[in-house]
Amino acid sequence: MTESDTTGEQPRTDGSGIVAPDDQTPTWSDRKARTQGLSRLTYEYFERARREDQDLRTESSYIERDVLGFPAWPHETIRNLAIASFFIGMIIFLSATMPPHIEAPADSSTTPAVILPDWYLYWSFGLLKLGPLNPELSILGGQKLMADRTYGVLANLVIVGAIAIVPFLNKGSARRPVEEPFWAAIGMSGVIFSITIAALSVKNLFPDMMPPHLLFDLTFLLPIVGGCLTYAVLKTMREGYMFELNRRYYRLRPPK
Amino acid sequence: MSLEPKDDHDHKGWLQQKDLSPVEKGYLSTLMWIDKRFRIVDYMELLENLYYKINLQMPKSHTEQYNLDNKFWYWYPLYSLGFFSLLAYIVAAFSGALLGFYYVPGAAGGATGDPSAAYQQITFIMTDLNFGYMLRSIHRWSAQVMTAAVFLHMLRVYFTGAYKEPRELNWLLGIVLISLTLVFGYSGYLLTFDQLAFWASQIGVEMALSIPLLGEWAAQLVFGGFTPSAATIQRMYLMHVFLLPFIVTALIAIHIGIVWMQGIAEPH
Repeated sequence: MTESDTTGEQPRTDGSGIVAPDDQTPTWSDRKARTQGLSRLTYEYFERARREDQDLRTESSYIERDVLGFPAWPHETIRNLAIASFFIGMIIFLSATMPPHIEAPADSSTTPAVILPDWYLYWSFGLLKLGPLNPELSILGGQKLMADRTYGVLANLVIVGAIAIVPFLNKGSARRPVEEPFWAAIGMSGVIFSITIAALSVKNLFPDMMPPHLLFDLTFLLPIVGGCLTYAVLKTMREGYMFELNRRYYRLRPPK
Repeated sequence: MSLEPKDDHDHKGWLQQKDLSPVEKGYLSTLMWIDKRFRIVDYMELLENLYYKINLQMPKSHTEQYNLDNKFWYWYPLYSLGFFSLLAYIVAAFSGALLGFYYVPGAAGGATGDPSAAYQQITFIMTDLNFGYMLRSIHRWSAQVMTAAVFLHMLRVYFTGAYKEPRELNWLLGIVLISLTLVFGYSGYLLTFDQLAFWASQIGVEMALSIPLLGEWAAQLVFGGFTPSAATIQRMYLMHVFLLPFIVTALIAIHIGIVWMQGIAEPH
């Protein structure tokens, strides 16, 4: 035990006690810089990213301002309010003019002639009726690999999965459909398929309108036809659009 | 006898020398009272920091740089579909909360053709309750409109390529949200427990049963049995008013927060 331990009221800050000397107390950034392993990596990456941002900002030739160009008040706010009140008015108008219908109470002993979900699930309901497409595999002796209803539920998952992976397949900075006729055609055939599959699911509402086989074939043919048409039209339009786009671009940035 | 704690920073003296109006004095002493207990100064600093961060100097947007305002704002209605679905969601939440005061998720003995408790309450709302007809109508229509707006929103995002590079995760989140919206609609559709609701839930049970291995377990969990009953409607009610609202509201907040952070994807 030294003398200062017993007599000193103040903690020692010269580095000889448990308290680090004032001039050696690490700052928070020092502490971050001295860490090891993953946190060290994180620190280095963030420092680097911050520097990159700063460099980009100093290099930029854009006019810089404190806020973005379009003022939130009153311009954007009033426009949003106008649109919001219009939309809500629309909902109230719809509900005043077309109130919901209520069916007979539930009865498990009588099946209604037409069972349908709400309109937004027609596509999913239609996918449950894909039984005719479920292949009978000869390797299983003419058996189907899975039951028809499993096949239908799987079709739902396949559709959702296909939509989910789109951003990982279609890259690049193109935005307009004319710039990418192929992806626009895929999207258009998807839209048409969602309509035709919905029509397939509500076929029981109009039993005499079309022979069922024709409807089933059209469900898959129309999307392909629509996709091809979209592709052809956009490909034709593309030349003119790209000309306009390039002219606008080079007028603003003349080639050196 | 007790000791008065000493005021180290002499707030009172400071207040007296300031010569303030009663309003200012009241405000400051309230602020000091709260700050002494919760140290809100620290949080104010956080807020201030946030305020300056969102006002960081931004480069010109693409629309501004190439003077595309006329082109861009022409398509503005399509760009407000996401906001529209949010609005419809809020309207549905309010009208749904009001409907919840009257609705009862009881379906005992309901599958035999006798009106169940849920069905009777719906009938009561539609025929006896003041404005009940309008209330249910608004709830239903805002749900329909929200679903339609969400579908169209997805189409707009697809055809303007707004899901591309920095925004893949938000696209995935959007797919989760649209699926949850459909589940929302489906569970609400079953709550009336009329004929169509009964048979629609029967189809749901069949779909759950068709899952290999886990099918029966899933049907028990989600529908509470292999045929629609009181358990089914109880589960759908809890999903519709408790589970889904929390999840969907949180996901919507994240979805919009990401749009705020990344900015809207303007068409090139």
